[in-house]
Amino acid sequence: MAIIERPTEAPATTNRGQAPAPKPSTNYGYLRRPVETTGWRSWAFTVDHKKIGIMYGAVAMFFFVLGGLEAVLMRLQLAGPDGTILSADKYNQMFTMHATTMVFLFVMPMAAAFANYMIPLQIGARDVAFPRMNALSLWVFVFGGVFLNTSWFLGGAADGGWFMYAPNSAVPFSPTNGVDFWGLGLLITGVASLVGAINLIVTVLNMRAPGMSMMKMPIFTWLALVVQMLLLFAIPVITVALFLLMFQRSFGAQFFSVEAGADPLLWQHLFWIFGHPEVYILVLPSFGIISEVLPVFSKKPLFGYPFVVFSGAAIGFVGWGVWAHHMFASGLGPVSVAVFSVATMAIAVPTGVKIINWTLTLWGGKLTFTTAMLFAIGLIVQFTIGGLSGVTHAVAPSDTQQTDTYYIVAHFHYVIFGGAVLGLFAGFYYWWPKVFGKLLNESWGKWNFWLMIIGMNLTFGPMHIIGLQGQPRRMYRWTEFRAGEGFFNLGFWNLVSTIGTFVLGVGILLFLINIWITHRPNSKTGPSPADPWDARSLEWITSNPPKEYNFARTPQVSQLDEFFHRKYEDVGEGDKHEYVQKMTGEEVIQFEEDNADPNIHLPAPSYWPMVLAFALPVMAYGVIYNTLLIVAGGAIATMAMFGWALEPADAESSDFDPPVEGDETSKELANV
Amino acid sequence: MTYDLNMSHQSSTTKMQAVETTTTLKSVTSSRLVRTLVAGSLAALLAGCATDAPQDTWQPKGPNSQMINDLDWVVFGIAGIVGTVVFSVIGFALWKYRDRGQPIPEQTHGKPALEIGLTILPALILVGIAIPTVGTIMDLADTSDTECIVNVTGQQWWWEVDYPVQDGCGGIEQPIVTSGQMVIEAGTKVLVRGTSRDVIHSWWIPSLNGKRDMVPGRIHTVRLEADEPGIFAGQCTEFCGLSHANMRMEVIAMNSQDFAIWKANQTQDYIAPEGESTFISQCSRCHQIDGITDSNDDLIISRPDQNVWSGAAPNLTNFMTRNTFAGASWDLLSKECRPGVWDASPSEIGAAYLDGVTDSCLNEVELREWLRNAPAKKPMYTDPESLGETNGLVRGMPYLALGEDQIDQLVAYLLERK
Repeated sequence: MAIIERPTEAPATTNRGQAPAPKPSTNYGYLRRPVETTGWRSWAFTVDHKKIGIMYGAVAMFFFVLGGLEAVLMRLQLAGPDGTILSADKYNQMFTMHATTMVFLFVMPMAAAFANYMIPLQIGARDVAFPRMNALSLWVFVFGGVFLNTSWFLGGAADGGWFMYAPNSAVPFSPTNGVDFWGLGLLITGVASLVGAINLIVTVLNMRAPGMSMMKMPIFTWLALVVQMLLLFAIPVITVALFLLMFQRSFGAQFFSVEAGADPLLWQHLFWIFGHPEVYILVLPSFGIISEVLPVFSKKPLFGYPFVVFSGAAIGFVGWGVWAHHMFASGLGPVSVAVFSVATMAIAVPTGVKIINWTLTLWGGKLTFTTAMLFAIGLIVQFTIGGLSGVTHAVAPSDTQQTDTYYIVAHFHYVIFGGAVLGLFAGFYYWWPKVFGKLLNESWGKWNFWLMIIGMNLTFGPMHIIGLQGQPRRMYRWTEFRAGEGFFNLGFWNLVSTIGTFVLGVGILLFLINIWITHRPNSKTGPSPADPWDARSLEWITSNPPKEYNFARTPQVSQLDEFFHRKYEDVGEGDKHEYVQKMTGEEVIQFEEDNADPNIHLPAPSYWPMVLAFALPVMAYGVIYNTLLIVAGGAIATMAMFGWALEPADAESSDFDPPVEGDETSKELANV
Repeated sequence: MTYDLNMSHQSSTTKMQAVETTTTLKSVTSSRLVRTLVAGSLAALLAGCATDAPQDTWQPKGPNSQMINDLDWVVFGIAGIVGTVVFSVIGFALWKYRDRGQPIPEQTHGKPALEIGLTILPALILVGIAIPTVGTIMDLADTSDTECIVNVTGQQWWWEVDYPVQDGCGGIEQPIVTSGQMVIEAGTKVLVRGTSRDVIHSWWIPSLNGKRDMVPGRIHTVRLEADEPGIFAGQCTEFCGLSHANMRMEVIAMNSQDFAIWKANQTQDYIAPEGESTFISQCSRCHQIDGITDSNDDLIISRPDQNVWSGAAPNLTNFMTRNTFAGASWDLLSKECRPGVWDASPSEIGAAYLDGVTDSCLNEVELREWLRNAPAKKPMYTDPESLGETNGLVRGMPYLALGEDQIDQLVAYLLERK
């Protein structure tokens, strides 16, 4: 939809119930822009950052469940000695794809979902800077993820572990097409990340509401910005590495072949220069989410906002100088190891600053333990455990005992599940009413939270013991001979871990059930109030869910936590503070509505992002199977790029289907 | 049970920090519940770990692993204290500042002095950890004082161990080539030099030292030294493909007399026993047995490079002097005889190991399974249909379609390989 004219007098209902206006004949046929406001087309061709965010989230959730099922199969295999549920080959594929799915197809896109949906709202913008590119990054991610997973049905998935060390990734050692699917799939999803990163950086830097200086920006937007910067520089590195790998596998290049004089450690350096910033790419969005949630439910601003911002930026910089701590056992030489060991300890400082700031945000607050708050607190505690075990292997000599054992598996699950995933769940509960207009059920939410916390500690807690007592990771089976004596031997803890997986799985299932009971057709859950949490930031100064154009008028910002300061006034004198409510959230929103902008320009939907995205997997299949497909994919891509460039800026207003009488969903034209 | 009980206490306390955390959160509801849970989890901690896990990283049996372990205590101790403080503060804040109808707190954005102080504090703690860390890194990398060189070479999915001719190791006059098990003299500082013939593997004997990746095209070193005679288990810890889980190894340390006997055993002359012809026809293309001759009395030299992708297969000359096979994944000793060697005291273990695998102690069932169909027992790339990418070369031991009588002959023949 192009231009929404706010009628000054009567609403624009002139077309209602009448025959459609004649379509103009001047359009270039297929270069017309789509105009549907309902049905699947309104989603498939949308450029609305909110719809794109929701689709990002839904697809990422699907991959979360898929990756979770892979984890369940692995834990079943390891529940007892000499497991036989999976073959060695299938098990190796399973752990490779579990990690790949969780990292690239769940956490990253779910963070992208939040960033897409929330950043424009938090900075008072109507959409992102490049709406069609936003749609492109969504569809590239979707097609890339599907492409990656079709390998299961086409001869087997990648089997080299998610960091795919050379030379084990070479054709003689991994003769199926699995690694090709993996490399090409990640190249494709990398395009999605890169396009999204550029888009969001430009959006944040250019489209903030009047008065919102960088240091008045909501903290989630700040940390999401740091993440986009990390992506901008990290994705090219993995892209180079993957290109080298694909040239080696597909065209006989020798980048990692020892026979040809290459050093396989080259791959490790390339992978981890990407891979370590990637860790921060995974956790910083969640840090941002809980930095929003904790103040709201503590009724207090984030303690030390500038410290959280700058420590986030510091992590963004120092994160580039620690990659070799993944390689302490790979024979770098003692000086390199010492340098990276100390650098790794250095990065614990800004991370520790965050924990301290969150704790001090709670300190002296007025805490209410909603599900979102519980998940946020859960993150602090679980991530701290992961951070402390991280310090133990920053100590390089200790790390040579710990790396590639289950202790590392325990560590990074406390960091990524405890850090990233719990934060995403805090975000789900906190922003659900904002996005879907209904509050998720809090009782189910509490069960959801406690089962996930208990489940994750049962699953990953014992892995500390299993690893320190000598069980390496990535083994499709373990033997009783190495499990030790006594009741609490490694067999016992492996079994506990498997049981924990099911508790965790039920916890996550409760979340899906919670969505169902909230949104099922005859649900008793009514619409959410406009300001259910007494929130503090800009995204709440609009209806739930927001209108397509986000804000009735572009908000003017004068303070950090703008929404809070519009609602409350400090009437205390001197050092005494006393806050009285001068307006409710509803009143603030109503005030904005009453002063709405008369004209709002919104970008029009487009077919081309999806078409262009579709071309990429076609070309990728071509690399694996048939050169003709590369040509076909290239032709589609060329056509899409020309179509993209040549399509008219807006749809003709006469192209719109007339709204159907009584159909609430097509209200935009009629009611705006 | 030879496990040091006192140590098990301390180690489990730190390892189980995780369990305490669930309790911290619950302090929201009741501090009494917290006390109960903390007491309960502590009790669980005391008994929470396996005893005698062969690859336990917390049971150092040599000076190198001891150095790491000493450092571990410092780091785990500090991490434990920091964790306890952080969780206590969070727990207290959650309880103290829960919503009890208090007014909206002051909208403060922080106290810079406090912030800076709380930034410097963790930095100082980390400096305290960094200093001993760097010292230990340098000590562990020193190779100037080692007394014995042993080479290890990884390939899918077993380790070759060889002793080059040297004055070290008490003198080696003729190269010794074995696999799966490395024999050293207790109290000797051994320098392991390692590489790989195919993908990256990692050499790890937790009770003697940390792991070191063995990378094709590079030679990496790692120190090993055992305080006392014993068997020290280890495992490949860099994912190396299909049968990564089945790539194990052991280090056997013995006193100097036993070690001298072992060296002599490894280089004794070959005597042709029964079953030799089956071995020659079925196995000698890949597996070397030193001294074996054909009908013309010419030495038979195996050519694994023409049959196996990595170009190597285990040397079986003294097969029965080791007590595991197929990447140290299965015992050559029967279940009944295994404890006699594995659980022997330091003073007896050398002699028990040198006895080798006798007729009555052979784990015949699994050895026969292996000979009958090796890839069924240990997943390997040997299916002729799928060897296009390796020019027909196998990765691992193929299915040989041996008859039962051939297997009988081979078992009898291998039993003499001492």
